[in-house]
Amino acid sequence: MESTAVITATHLVKRYGKLEVVKGINFSVPAGQCFGLLGPNGAGKSTTMRMIMGLSEVTGGELKVFGEPASDMRREIKAKIGLVPQESNLDPDISVLENLVAFGRYFALSKSAIDQRSNKLLEFMQLNDKKFAPVNALSGGMKRRLTIARALIGDPEMVILDEPTTGLDPQARVLIWKQLTELKKEGRTLLLTTHYMDEAQRLCDQIVVIDNGIILDQGTPEELIARHVKGYVFEVQKPNLAISPENRWDQEDIGDSVLYFVDDTAEFITDLPEDAIYLHRPANLEDVFLRLTGRILREN
Amino acid sequence: MKMPESVYVMAVYDRQYRVFRKLLGSSLVANVANPILFLFAFGFGMGSFIDTMSGMSYLTFVVAGMIGYSAAFAASFETSIGAFTRYFLQKNWDAILSTPVTLAELMMGEILWASVKALFSAICVLIVGWLWGGVPTSFEPLLTLPIVFLGSICFACAGLIATAYAKGYEFFSYFFTFWVTPMFIFCGVFFDIDRFPDFIQYFAWLFPMTHLVAAIRPLTAGTELDIAAIFLHTGYITVFSAAAFWIAHRKLRQRLYD
Repeated sequence: MESTAVITATHLVKRYGKLEVVKGINFSVPAGQCFGLLGPNGAGKSTTMRMIMGLSEVTGGELKVFGEPASDMRREIKAKIGLVPQESNLDPDISVLENLVAFGRYFALSKSAIDQRSNKLLEFMQLNDKKFAPVNALSGGMKRRLTIARALIGDPEMVILDEPTTGLDPQARVLIWKQLTELKKEGRTLLLTTHYMDEAQRLCDQIVVIDNGIILDQGTPEELIARHVKGYVFEVQKPNLAISPENRWDQEDIGDSVLYFVDDTAEFITDLPEDAIYLHRPANLEDVFLRLTGRILREN
Repeated sequence: MKMPESVYVMAVYDRQYRVFRKLLGSSLVANVANPILFLFAFGFGMGSFIDTMSGMSYLTFVVAGMIGYSAAFAASFETSIGAFTRYFLQKNWDAILSTPVTLAELMMGEILWASVKALFSAICVLIVGWLWGGVPTSFEPLLTLPIVFLGSICFACAGLIATAYAKGYEFFSYFFTFWVTPMFIFCGVFFDIDRFPDFIQYFAWLFPMTHLVAAIRPLTAGTELDIAAIFLHTGYITVFSAAAFWIAHRKLRQRLYD
């Protein structure tokens, strides 16, 4: 698909005092795609998103949203963005429907547009029977669905989703994935952060892996997998490891066992001793993520 | 900065109105019943011991004070504890600021609603005071309404300063102890401030409440009107409001944006 960039970050820097949390990153989000921003806690994802929303000032470099500097966004530009924050900030004092109505008014929509869209969105997010329920009566999954519906009230060209399925049960996640795929089909740009690599692999066309404020790599999920973890992973328990010298295989010691990243499974199996105990599976984005960002636990 | 637009201010106002409709019972109790109880206690209870105050019946004196105080309390509460809850606890402001609404518009919506609510409780006090014979004038009391509304805007702006600086609910005990309660005591609500020593009078005139009560009392009591004085009082209240809005906006900007 021929597309223009909705967001372009050029040498983007964010500093809080002396602390540099975003260290000169470059990326661009093409229109109509699902773009994943992945990274461990404290990597700089949320700060980057806040800058995109114009809620955080850009310290250095350039950040353009729909061709305009994010720090000084015109109202019409801001109205093209829908935000689904990580923490629920639905209005607990009013009902499900009223949440959509109130938001429609923040987007200066007409009453008829609000009526029409909120009904459509309640249906889209399968919240029709909860229309008049108070927000506090909703389950976690319903709240998230309502937050997504709310972000869509302004008919945005771009939807920013900060960990949209964190803490939800598998059924709720599957429904949200399905509806996000629908949004993409409608031609909307999605900018997504997530800790679930299966989610990123399923939804994202382009992925940026970010850590400590720098971009470690970017590409399609397939490109990233091919580049960093080849096609397959063997997790071989110590001590019966591959016979060939260490430099023959791309490997990583993870404590009790060693991970081997290989293209040709048959060839590798012949290199294993008889009594080797191993697990064998196709490589995925999670392997890429862990290889790029390491296995050390992060604290915020 | 973007020029504020009324459609966005009204969107914020509208949300508050929706909630108010739901919580009408408790809102009415706090904003109407409360001042009426005070009016009863002071107007009838104390009034039977005090013949006149500043040349008028004590009930008449207190009605003007209570109109001002009920507006001050309602507006202050709404933009301090009320607004802080929406901002800090419910993260409602974060949600609003992710839409085309600007911080200034959000604040204006909050202030507008707080002022309408304050005006509403002031009207209730006026009606009760009139029914009890504490308002001897005829149409003049209606002229107090725009002045009360202006005063309410001022109290609402000051409340937002408290919200802007508050780190938790405990902070509001300072706000109520050092701002709202003194308005009750030093600003001519229950007694004439002429009785105070000079330095306390100067102190009292710093509060917009003193100016508000001084501006509306001649209108409800039917004493001699000094138009110039009313302009001076409303002028002070206006300047105070603008300064408070500016301070609150600056601090909230720092806190909400980084």
